[in-house]
Amino acid sequence: MKKMLQVTLGILTAIGGFVDIGDLVANALVGSRFGMSLAWVVVVGVIGICLYAEMAGRVAAVTGRAVFDLVRERMGPRTALLNLAASNLVNLLTLAAEVAGVALALQLATSVSYLLFVPMVAFLVWFVIWRMPFEQMERMFGLAGLALLVFAVALWQLGPDWGSLVHQATHPTVQSGEGHPTYWYYAIALFGAAMTPYEVFFFSSGAVEEKWSTKDLNLERANVYVGFPLGGLLSIAIAATTAVVFLPRGIEVEHLSQVALPTVMALGKVGLALLILGFVAATFGAALETTLSSGYAVSQYFGWQWGKLVKPKDAARFHAVVLLSLILGVMIVLTTLDPIKVTEYSLVFSAVALPLTYFPILVVANDPGYMKDKVNSRFSNTLATAYLILITVVAVAAIPLMIATKAGQ
Amino acid sequence: MTGRALDLTLHLLDRQVLDQDGGMVCNVDDVEFLVPDDGAPPYITTLLTGPAALAPRLGGLLGRWVLSAYQLLGERHDKEPDRIPYELVTDIAASVKVSRTRAEMGVHPGEDRARQYFVDRIPGARHESS
Repeated sequence: MKKMLQVTLGILTAIGGFVDIGDLVANALVGSRFGMSLAWVVVVGVIGICLYAEMAGRVAAVTGRAVFDLVRERMGPRTALLNLAASNLVNLLTLAAEVAGVALALQLATSVSYLLFVPMVAFLVWFVIWRMPFEQMERMFGLAGLALLVFAVALWQLGPDWGSLVHQATHPTVQSGEGHPTYWYYAIALFGAAMTPYEVFFFSSGAVEEKWSTKDLNLERANVYVGFPLGGLLSIAIAATTAVVFLPRGIEVEHLSQVALPTVMALGKVGLALLILGFVAATFGAALETTLSSGYAVSQYFGWQWGKLVKPKDAARFHAVVLLSLILGVMIVLTTLDPIKVTEYSLVFSAVALPLTYFPILVVANDPGYMKDKVNSRFSNTLATAYLILITVVAVAAIPLMIATKAGQ
Repeated sequence: MTGRALDLTLHLLDRQVLDQDGGMVCNVDDVEFLVPDDGAPPYITTLLTGPAALAPRLGGLLGRWVLSAYQLLGERHDKEPDRIPYELVTDIAASVKVSRTRAEMGVHPGEDRARQYFVDRIPGARHESS
């Protein structure tokens, strides 16, 4: 049991990438429009994030340096500042969406407008960061987020034609009535979500917060290889439930309540209760992850003391950035902008940030000056280089595809 | 600190500076050299840090923006970088270690101001989060 609790950093990190508010809806939407034909993208994404999160976590454990330290050291202050600006826009837009997402989940439970919950949710996010020890935080929200496994149970209960689901996944075709550009737009959106930069910021900084060292490398790998595949599994399960219920009826998913519908059909009130718990935990966890990532990235760029492992007064600028990000996030939400659209548009900034984040990780993970004998194996270098090319292609293709398909409409 | 070739840009610039207790102090934003008159090779005398050291390396408009943003926040009114004498450096590895505490070096006026006027006024700022 104790061992199991130690992988919660990986789980919480993955939740922010795979089942945050934007992805909860995006996965369901993809299932309802394309069936399982995009499941392969999730698998590709899981392998990619495992590869790079493992490197980032290993570097952090061996050297005590988190990802944005490496970005600045390897890319120089100018390029790193560009990355910082792009990454922090992603963080800020996502954070705003997650705060709204917690509020939307509460709206689902109470029918009270989500806007009324927003200030309270933001305060709670700040309070957790201000007061709760890191380990307790990651356990609480990582484990509660596992309530989303109810999607997998619901899928089982729905009694789908498994053969047909597997066939859709292994023989991907674009559904009639959908264009190829739209298909590829969603492929890129899912891949971008899986590899979103704040995951490595959070995971590597979390490794430092947890005081991992070279002797914790097995623990580090366990976190990666349990957390991210679990995130991917949740993501595929969500798409499968809507593929079973909505695809044959030609219904498109647009709202969080529709994401819940198949589970409610299968499991009734108990399903809904677990689902809302899962929604709240996952979006709250993602809010924590993005808020902290803003603080981590800015502090690491400038060399300020950061982290929850010291008293707040000893990391004053870090906590100032955290609080400021939250206030800005709340202001964005209160404009009543559609929070789910917001996460879609943050993809544009991800496109800039992704290559500039993953390249320095790969370089440093190969530098014996940092890593001694813990450098990458040849196998992981080959794979990582292939992914770096893929990431760059995706980054270049993302914006034109977004414009051409009007963000997947 | 002898017997190892260091590439300045690769091993020193932009690295994290840690104090004697492992606390994060600042980044090495720039370095200062002394070129001896007798034609001996130049050597590093000082690590420079803070926006006034970073801004020239960013260059152009971006650099001026960073500098004015800091001045706006009241961090520093002059354009002098903060300085760490090179004698204090005890190790250069994944991070640069120095043999003083953060308080003794006094190289981050911005941190002090953020603490004094903002963070320290919020209840709980002096407690470990546990």
